[in-house]
Amino acid sequence: MASDSGEAASSSAELKLQFAPFSSALEAGFWHQLTQKKLNDYRLDESPKCIKGYYYNGDPVGLPTRLTLEFSAFDIDGPTPARCCPAVGTLYNTNTLDAFKTTDKKAFIWDAIQSGAALKDPSILCRFILLTFADLKKYHFYYWFCFPALCFPEGIKIVQRPAVLEQVFSAKQIAALQEAYDGLCVQKGITAVPYFLMKYSADAVQLAPLGDWETFYTDMKKVTVGVYDPCTLSQHPGWPLRNLLVLLANQWGSKVDTVEVLCFRDRTMQGSRSIQHSVTFQVKLPELPNSSVCPKSVGWEKNPKGVMGPRMVNLSECMDPKRLAESSVDLNLKLMRWRLVPTLDLDKVVNTKCLLLGAGTLGCNVARTLMGWGVRHISFVDNAKISYSNPVRQPLYEFEDCLGGGKSKAMAAVERLTKIFPGVNAEGYNMSIPMPGHPVNFSQATLSQAQRDVEQLEKLISEHDVVFLLMDTRESRWLPTVIAASKRKLVVNAALGFDTFVVMRHGLKKPAASQSVSTAADSSPSCSSASSSSSTPAGSAPSVPVSSLFSNIPGHKLGCYFCNDVVAPGDSTRDRTLDQQCTVSRPGLAMIAGALAVEMMVSILQHSEGGYAVASSSDDRMNEPPTSLGLVPHQIRGFLSRFDNVLPASLAFDKCTACSPIVLDHYEREGFNFLSKVFNSSHSFLEDLTGLTLLHQETQAAEVNHSHTSG
Amino acid sequence: MSCFALDEERFRLCCRLLLQRSDQLRDGWSWNVVQGSEEGYLKKTVLRSDSELHATPTAEEQQREQSAAAPEGIRGHSEDDDDEDDGACTVLESSRQALQYEYHVLYSCSYNTPVLYFRAFTLEGRSLSLEEVWSSVHPNFRLRLQESPLDTITQQEHPLLGQPFFMLHPCKTEEFMKPLLQAAVDQNRPVNYVLSWLSVVGPVVGLHVPLQYCETG
Repeated sequence: MASDSGEAASSSAELKLQFAPFSSALEAGFWHQLTQKKLNDYRLDESPKCIKGYYYNGDPVGLPTRLTLEFSAFDIDGPTPARCCPAVGTLYNTNTLDAFKTTDKKAFIWDAIQSGAALKDPSILCRFILLTFADLKKYHFYYWFCFPALCFPEGIKIVQRPAVLEQVFSAKQIAALQEAYDGLCVQKGITAVPYFLMKYSADAVQLAPLGDWETFYTDMKKVTVGVYDPCTLSQHPGWPLRNLLVLLANQWGSKVDTVEVLCFRDRTMQGSRSIQHSVTFQVKLPELPNSSVCPKSVGWEKNPKGVMGPRMVNLSECMDPKRLAESSVDLNLKLMRWRLVPTLDLDKVVNTKCLLLGAGTLGCNVARTLMGWGVRHISFVDNAKISYSNPVRQPLYEFEDCLGGGKSKAMAAVERLTKIFPGVNAEGYNMSIPMPGHPVNFSQATLSQAQRDVEQLEKLISEHDVVFLLMDTRESRWLPTVIAASKRKLVVNAALGFDTFVVMRHGLKKPAASQSVSTAADSSPSCSSASSSSSTPAGSAPSVPVSSLFSNIPGHKLGCYFCNDVVAPGDSTRDRTLDQQCTVSRPGLAMIAGALAVEMMVSILQHSEGGYAVASSSDDRMNEPPTSLGLVPHQIRGFLSRFDNVLPASLAFDKCTACSPIVLDHYEREGFNFLSKVFNSSHSFLEDLTGLTLLHQETQAAEVNHSHTSG
Repeated sequence: MSCFALDEERFRLCCRLLLQRSDQLRDGWSWNVVQGSEEGYLKKTVLRSDSELHATPTAEEQQREQSAAAPEGIRGHSEDDDDEDDGACTVLESSRQALQYEYHVLYSCSYNTPVLYFRAFTLEGRSLSLEEVWSSVHPNFRLRLQESPLDTITQQEHPLLGQPFFMLHPCKTEEFMKPLLQAAVDQNRPVNYVLSWLSVVGPVVGLHVPLQYCETG
């Protein structure tokens, strides 16, 4: 609220009139339009431009006295909103901050007053100046309004204090005034009259345009002027009256002593109109010391600090395309929460750092789905180049990317993600992942390269929250499985057959400290779903009531990709079938599996226990889901030929070649020495280490035995 | 079904009738035409003081704005000293904490329905984020808003102005308009599709349609 200091000093004989200054009000569209004008029309042209604003006298109490500029401000001949008064201004849009120049803000008003032009077009009295500087790189806009007002050196003495119209006028007079004002509007063909002359008796009110002064007032003993008043304060008139009084003093100062002012306020609330809150008072019209010299002028708008200076508005959020993209993406996700899943914890998803090992068909689809979830931090590891067959299946690449030998997939994927969404924080690593059965000891150089690769991979896994295994061979998944298991990172694995796929989360081992206590239970012989249940001791899941063996497996007891296998990974491209290679899968499969891998991650993140969540199974489909998004399975196995998915769960295998305690223990103690032995040896090395060899021999013996007895 | 769909011609007619009534009621709706095209939309701007809305810019925002030091060159104005103006009453910055709400009604060719676009901004012209808009809504109303089946607010470019706006997605419009229109047909009572629709969706985003609209046909 403006201070009502005038009211406090009411007893003083020297009560001076104070005006409520305009507050500039800019619509969002104004800045958009100014930007367009600057870019397309004005460019470097700094010459003054004509613009148009408006003010309104129907605001509810408490709102600031505004002069509004909307996007149509540049269309000087365009319509003014109904029942608003137009105000024309001059825009000085400067190219540099230094060019904010001193402008002669008062001359045009004084000229119009002296020449009498203001009588014919009184809107000149409300002319304004706007200085702008647009920093279109940052979308920062500096602006400074001036609503020039000429001043009487001694101020304006109040003769009769401001009073609300209904205390002064009878209901009949008020009705007559309203009717007369509407009539004047019709007569002038406009919906708001900024200034008018007034005569009234006990039962009639007569109004006339300002220009009719000489004919309207035969007796200048008492004159009443009406001002369309945008102010809502009861003790103060708004700014438009100020220059009018100077005009009156200049034109008729010698003849007029006291001026009665009607601050005409006209508001409609809930369809009911009233003008009785208009304000009326009388002032002594001061003399202008020298009618040929321009009086002192004021009117620059204060900034938020309350001092003379420009205002700044930062519009990057609604104008910077990159910021707009970010806020739209976020908003889209929030809408999912607001509308459908109120308990969805989006921050958990958005802030998850994802490492994608493999930037092929799976990697591309996983990345796109992660982007859809608003995940900002995505890193790719791949050593391949984009080949001609890739773009049709790998949605981050184009034909152009294949030319000249092809771009590196990891790098091209980053480039494309950034193009799709500049807000993403993507990194690419063009590197190989050493694999069991793929020797690295050809030379010192290859060995140290392998060591560097391992270190890099260890570093990357440490720096991320979720590791996606999306490679095209089984054995390349071994090293990251071991490292991630050791570092207790969540692993989501997707692998494709021709028309089948598996998407699974690896069991997340308990933190190292607590594991020492439960080692005995955890490492006790258990089995995978594939093998016979008889080898699992009763004590393997003591705390959870088990209805069937494979239900309710807690996350830390779940198996990894290698747990179901009774052979160690080796060179699959040489001596194994191709069924684990995604190059010969049905084209839709990678999209399905890639999408499911991300959705599984999101569901895991929504579970209060994260990677330790008990695995949901197909049987749980009818039960109360554990998260707002539903089930958190261990595995999704899909069969495209039947268009069917199942949700198996399996226990970690104590002889697993990747996540068994003995492998992790060797890795953690011997590091690269152990790993290089694995890389350089045949698969029997891991099988011997974990006891798989022994298991094979026993099984063979049992089979021989069995065939003997049955045969 | 087709009798409940709104074609563009009828949309315009409904808008014209609404505008006539708005003019009588001084409710502030206007028809805006896009320069150099046939297309137009209904527009209304509403100003609300901040105290009324329980919204204040975050401390961080205020800090940001205040700390934005005026760059060199903008400061100097030696022509005359405005500080010496005792003819102006003091306007505190706090009284400027008003928000401008802009509502547009457009026709959607794909849904054959009217669509409500809106945005809210400060007197500086800075648009509010949806969260800021929501925080400016009274908590009681906010709850209702979130549960409302109409709550389909999306950020989208204004199809005619190309500026970012929020919109109430028209995907559910037919769903809630159908019973309303059916009732009117059953009772053989004239109905202004746009007006009825606006009276349903408007309040969700703080836009009130006075009852007086219905008092005369």
